[in-house]
Amino acid sequence: MRVTSHTFPNSLLDELTSLAQRQNKLQNQAATGQLVELPEDDPVAMRRVLDMQGESRAVSQYQRNIARHQELATASFSVIKGLKKISDRIREIAIAADGLKSQDELNIYAKEVTELIKQAVQAVNSKNRGDYIFSGTLSDQPAYSSVTDANGNVTSVSYQGNATLAESEIASGVTMTAQVLGESTSGTGPRGLITDSRSGADFFNHLISLQNNLLSGNVAAIENTDRANLELDENNFLIQIGGNGAIQSRLEATNALAGQRKETLEALVSKEADADLTQTIVRLSQTQTAYQAALQSAGRILSSSLLDYLR
Amino acid sequence: MLGLFGTLNLASRSLQTQRNGTEVAGHNIANVNTPGYSRQRVALETSITIPSEIGPEGTGADAVAINQLRDILLDRQLVGETSVRGALESKQKALEFAQAALGQVIDRQSSGAEGAAASSGVGGQHGMAEELAGLFAAFQSLSTNPTSMAERQVLLLKAQNLAGQFNQLSGRFDDLRGSLNESLGGDVAQANIALADIAKLNQQILAAEIGGQGKANDLRDTRQKRIEDLAKLVKVDTTANPNGSVDIAIDGVALVTGPNVLDQLETFDAGGGQFLVRTLTGGATLNLTGGSLQGTIDARDTDLAALRSHIDTLAAALITQVNALHANGYGLSGGTGQKFFTGTNASDIAVTDALVNDPGAIQASGVAGAVGDNSVAVALAQLAEQSLPALSNQTLLQHYSQTVTQLGQALNGTNTQLTNQQIVERMLLRQRDSISGVSLDEEMTDLVKFQRAFEASARLITTVDDMLETVVNLKR
Repeated sequence: MRVTSHTFPNSLLDELTSLAQRQNKLQNQAATGQLVELPEDDPVAMRRVLDMQGESRAVSQYQRNIARHQELATASFSVIKGLKKISDRIREIAIAADGLKSQDELNIYAKEVTELIKQAVQAVNSKNRGDYIFSGTLSDQPAYSSVTDANGNVTSVSYQGNATLAESEIASGVTMTAQVLGESTSGTGPRGLITDSRSGADFFNHLISLQNNLLSGNVAAIENTDRANLELDENNFLIQIGGNGAIQSRLEATNALAGQRKETLEALVSKEADADLTQTIVRLSQTQTAYQAALQSAGRILSSSLLDYLR
Repeated sequence: MLGLFGTLNLASRSLQTQRNGTEVAGHNIANVNTPGYSRQRVALETSITIPSEIGPEGTGADAVAINQLRDILLDRQLVGETSVRGALESKQKALEFAQAALGQVIDRQSSGAEGAAASSGVGGQHGMAEELAGLFAAFQSLSTNPTSMAERQVLLLKAQNLAGQFNQLSGRFDDLRGSLNESLGGDVAQANIALADIAKLNQQILAAEIGGQGKANDLRDTRQKRIEDLAKLVKVDTTANPNGSVDIAIDGVALVTGPNVLDQLETFDAGGGQFLVRTLTGGATLNLTGGSLQGTIDARDTDLAALRSHIDTLAAALITQVNALHANGYGLSGGTGQKFFTGTNASDIAVTDALVNDPGAIQASGVAGAVGDNSVAVALAQLAEQSLPALSNQTLLQHYSQTVTQLGQALNGTNTQLTNQQIVERMLLRQRDSISGVSLDEEMTDLVKFQRAFEASARLITTVDDMLETVVNLKR
């Protein structure tokens, strides 16, 4: 091929341009640590990365949901624990109130039971983040309201919530709730904490009955019915504590799974999008060497011409 | 027999011939950096021979023509390839603008697979993918705490961000379309100037070559350059006439015949801001097959149009689906039937004012009166994972990813094509340079050659002069 005055400068320029482009690309990869930054870099990898980032964001959100459920489970647990304590004391009273006690003593027990009822009502009307925990989805209503007579004795405690719970996602398509209902009388669905038709628990009415029997000195009724009824309530609390524990460990396990999934996704995204730094740096220095060689050799060729040898 | 005077005449013509040689070499040297210039050579021939008793005798040399070294086939091929490159370059430019307008990048600097969106807080995110995910994360958060005003505020903010992003994208696509249409106008104006120039050069070439005394080399170089300029803008068909002029036609419509410009180009709105190219007086819409005009139109009407319609489809699907679920819900104060988003596509999507003014009106509950119910919020959150028939059975995020991928593929493909095209063109240019390019080394040796011959011719004159003096002094 005939070489003209433009052949050298033109091919030098072409070479330098492509080497400079390469250097720029590699430098960019080394600086950002990414092989893929823009859609044009690798459209297919871009798609996979966007999808995986989407999934990862969703998983992060599930973890936030789980954290919220855990918070509610912890809040519910402390209430249930409190109720269990009240139940324990009540059972002591029910056993202590035998025929050997005088009516005055029984009255004192009754007073204590009344206070314990009020304390229990207060506990089940606990709020978490502004919502009543045990009212079902009527979370703007206190779960229970009590009525007292002129003597300060509790005559009735009634449930004001409903029997539905608000479940939300902890994984794709998997919904659950750590919320507990105050009352369940349908025999299906979630169990009630205070009143539950399946376990026979009806804590407040049983307490009121105990309070009234104490006041009226009806020790036989206490021995024959109240003690057995309180046993049912105690069992129901134990069921609830067990349920709460199961929920907490399920949340824990799901959270761990989500964490693992995120790590997997991180590894996959890294595989698609991240530059192998060693390789990038090696290639960058290769390109730099080529660039310098091109400049040096061109400098020699371009600086000499026939003119140097003609007078 | 030339005789001494004949030889003196021969020497003087030789001086002239060698001077011609240096002149042409000088012209080549002067034009070594002129774009489009092809080197010239002086054609030397021996002068007519005259009979003598010892046979035909030479009478020296004459410069008969100045020839241009040019390969017509290569020129023609280059004109064609220039059009292909012009189309690819303008397409690449348009798609790069679109990629910038879309603004979707992967940023892995912040830790976590989800990159920039790793921070769970509000704001500080970019790209539609983050905004979309942000909206659904906010629906999720609301589902875990349906009565919370804080979650409702966050949801509104995310929804407004997303709507704003849609509006912005739509606006940028409008601007991009506008500027592409403007660039069509600019290209057409340049093409018209090139057409006029070519016609004028045809005229000058015809005038210069009319006597049949050789070719107007430099004018032809300039015309070839202008044809290539024009070809970069729009693919043309050239026909070389025997008289030296070149006719130009685009899509079968003759625009330049010899020295006359028959018609010019103009852009016109074919409806809905779709600017196309037609002839000015003939009014025929031209079906362009190459050049930057075609590249721009192609990018605008295929990839950018698809991108735009995908974003609009996405916005429309989001509006319909979210509204359908949201309308069935109940707000904190019992309100129902409210739309979440207003608008119908990316350009006008917005969050309903009533919700912005009162976050409590967001209808997260599925049961009238039960504020703690979250069934609508859960359904809205689950929308993120739902395959929608309106989006070819993809989820919203998948549809968006596909849109990004399609644009990336179009741009990536164009980049590759352009690189290949540049290689082809570079090889052709190198080939042309090897035929037509000026080599200073050659011209310098030519100069030396002609200089030496000039000196020798001059010596011939002094020699003949000496001989004549000898003859004159024969008789004292």
